[in-house]
Amino acid sequence: MNVSSAAVQACGLVKTHGQGQSRVHAVDEVDLEVPQGQMLAVMGPSGCGKSTLLHLLGGLERPTDGEVWVAGRRIDTLSERALARMRRRSVGFVFQAFHLVEELSAAENVELPALLAGRSRRQARRRASLLLDRVGLAARARHLPSQLSGGQRQRVAIARALVNDPLVVLADEPTGNLDTAATLEVLRIFEELRSAGQTFVIVTHDERVAATADRLVSMRDGMFVDDTRLAGSHPRGLGGLIGLEG
Amino acid sequence: MGSIVLVVRLVLADVRRHKVQVAILLLAVTVATATMALGVSLRGASDTLYEQTRAATAGPDVVALSGDRGPAVTSALAALANDPDVVAHHGPYRIVYADLTTRDSTSSPVVVHGFAETPGAVNRPLVTSGQWVRPGGMVLERGFATALGVGVGDHVTIASRSYPVVGIAVTAATSIYPWAAQIGPGGGPSDYSGLAWMTRSDARTLASSHDLPVTLAMDLKLRDPAATEAFREGHRVSIIRINFHSWQFTAVQDMVILRDSQPILVVGSWLLSFLASTGVTALAVGRAAEQTRRAGLLKAVGAAPGLIATVLLTEYLALALVGDALGLVIARLTVPAIASPTASRIGDAAGLTGATVATATVLAVAVAVLSTLRPTLRAMRTATVTAQSATAYQPRHRPWLTALSALLPTPLLLGVRLTARRPGRVVLQACSTATIVIAIVALLIRFAQPERGYGLDGSAALPNLRGEHDRQLMLAVAILLIALALVNTITLTWTTAIEARPSMAIARTLGATPGQISAGLSTAQLLSSLPGAILGIPLGLGLFSIFALGNWTVPPFSWLLGAALATLLATAALTALPARLAARQPVAQALSAETA
Repeated sequence: MNVSSAAVQACGLVKTHGQGQSRVHAVDEVDLEVPQGQMLAVMGPSGCGKSTLLHLLGGLERPTDGEVWVAGRRIDTLSERALARMRRRSVGFVFQAFHLVEELSAAENVELPALLAGRSRRQARRRASLLLDRVGLAARARHLPSQLSGGQRQRVAIARALVNDPLVVLADEPTGNLDTAATLEVLRIFEELRSAGQTFVIVTHDERVAATADRLVSMRDGMFVDDTRLAGSHPRGLGGLIGLEG
Repeated sequence: MGSIVLVVRLVLADVRRHKVQVAILLLAVTVATATMALGVSLRGASDTLYEQTRAATAGPDVVALSGDRGPAVTSALAALANDPDVVAHHGPYRIVYADLTTRDSTSSPVVVHGFAETPGAVNRPLVTSGQWVRPGGMVLERGFATALGVGVGDHVTIASRSYPVVGIAVTAATSIYPWAAQIGPGGGPSDYSGLAWMTRSDARTLASSHDLPVTLAMDLKLRDPAATEAFREGHRVSIIRINFHSWQFTAVQDMVILRDSQPILVVGSWLLSFLASTGVTALAVGRAAEQTRRAGLLKAVGAAPGLIATVLLTEYLALALVGDALGLVIARLTVPAIASPTASRIGDAAGLTGATVATATVLAVAVAVLSTLRPTLRAMRTATVTAQSATAYQPRHRPWLTALSALLPTPLLLGVRLTARRPGRVVLQACSTATIVIAIVALLIRFAQPERGYGLDGSAALPNLRGEHDRQLMLAVAILLIALALVNTITLTWTTAIEARPSMAIARTLGATPGQISAGLSTAQLLSSLPGAILGIPLGLGLFSIFALGNWTVPPFSWLLGAALATLLATAALTALPARLAARQPVAQALSAETA
């Protein structure tokens, strides 16, 4: 397998749950290569294995069979400790439910991965401040998640995912809990990041979100059934493309 | 009827689902009520044993003792037999003060009573093995014989002469071993002594051959056994000095050996109850969100608040009452051994009194209700829809602590932040730790006290039974306290881990290793334990000073500090396993559960 140019690769990836007759293939013989700088959207109906695939790519779950490579390093054989270190350096997660720490402010949430990665408090704070500014939340840095709207919370989560300059951002239904305006805000940020060369794997069931990607993979019953190259950023602007403009 | 069936079914279903919590609750309430019942019952049990011995040995109502001897004393004592209030008597008889040595060279002071070969109507010692005195053979009091390790057929030496032990007996005329000498030679103070009986002629020969000190005594049976005080008052003016020891006085004297036992058990039961409350509170709080969702579900299908409160409280109340019953049974079974540390009394300690049962039951109910009332009220008051989606308690934002912890290494950072999430739980953990340290400090103090043995000249060849009994009791209470506190520590670590699972899962997605999470959870418990360990030392010293009688020696400070450090180390070791288990739970699963 050529792993040199790919940010993320999967080969013969299988994940099963249960045993015997109740055995279910959540992910079934999936091969995938995501080059650096690409925004890949994975679509499919609920329960088709999208989120499981994302967890496998980020090392949150271990595959039953197959290989996963991140930044040229095979990760499915790593220890939990090494996986954690890999996530610090190479992977940023964005979840549908945001998964912010409720008792920490927006800035403190964003700082957290930097502190876990061993950065000094000052460095972590500076980086958090920069990213919150970038996602348009500089004024809300001291707010708790409960004091923010859904869109703002997701923007905090995006800033948090980026704080350690990850190679790839894995986003699981990032707009699933958001209204139209908030979805637009999030997608604009993703668009900016893609333009800056950030690699994304976005799991979604929203076609409008998928339309902003460079590439769209469709999943059904744990398998890829389609793999399409898209145009990516639309000349009419993001809102026009996804039908969110007034 | 339908509601009762429903409540029972819901309670049983919940009990089946939470077996570990049920076991912890039962354990906590059982040890607390057992110790409380034991502490409250001791006095009654001691009195009962004395009364049973008195009945079996025709114990005198009054023993008249004179420190002097001679014909005048003998006739003064004999004159008491003619008193109209006296219905029967035994004596006057000699009490000879000597030293007794066993074959293995254990020596002890002994008082030898010179008795007839056929006991009279009053003070008929009950022979529990062997036979009654005969010329050349002696009988040892059972408590004394047990302490000496001497049985029928052995030989003991008194005043250079060897006597075969022909029997072992008990009496209610004297206090239990080692307070058999009710009066010293010449009416002075007496030392720890055992009791032996010989024939009158043997006692006379013993006294005269070695010029040993002798006093005289006479046992009296009164017309009104309760009127001992009036009898004593009526014979206060006399040319010959006579001391009157009533049966009530002897019964009270029996309690001397248990003087420190009662505070050990009662204070121990307070501490155990406190630990039981903290443990049950930790369990109840840990399940608060689940119980609120359950209440929401019941409300949604039409249950009234009263029924919901009944369902939630009944489980804890029923379990507390089962624990109470178990505790009372344990107390009933162990009270004879604890109330009678010597073998000087016979009989069976009485059953627990109604007051004891009521006290223990109130304690058990209080533990259950006080620990579960708040979560129950919360569940009752929460609106149905809100209740159905109730989540764990949301911690407060603490900016200064978050900023401070950002300067620390990851395990400490996580530990400090976990600690800050639940201040109430910190208090519970600190209290548990303080209780352990209090118990250890009290134990160290007890072991550090100098002690006079019951052997000759205070020799430790015959151990101080009271000190030994107190140490054993304190050790037992300390073990119970430590066991309960350790269970609490594990429970608190586990509930902390369960409650922090979403946050810890997020931390893991952000790059925290399982080792860091595990260390963070252990650190959180250690940080919570630290104030308890520090406060436990002065609290232990303070508690001992309140309940200790007389002077006591403070153990070296290094011992106390070592106890606190050992407690912290044990806490760290104990939290390691639940923390490690919690840290190894799959991240994706925890995140999915949070989303659901």
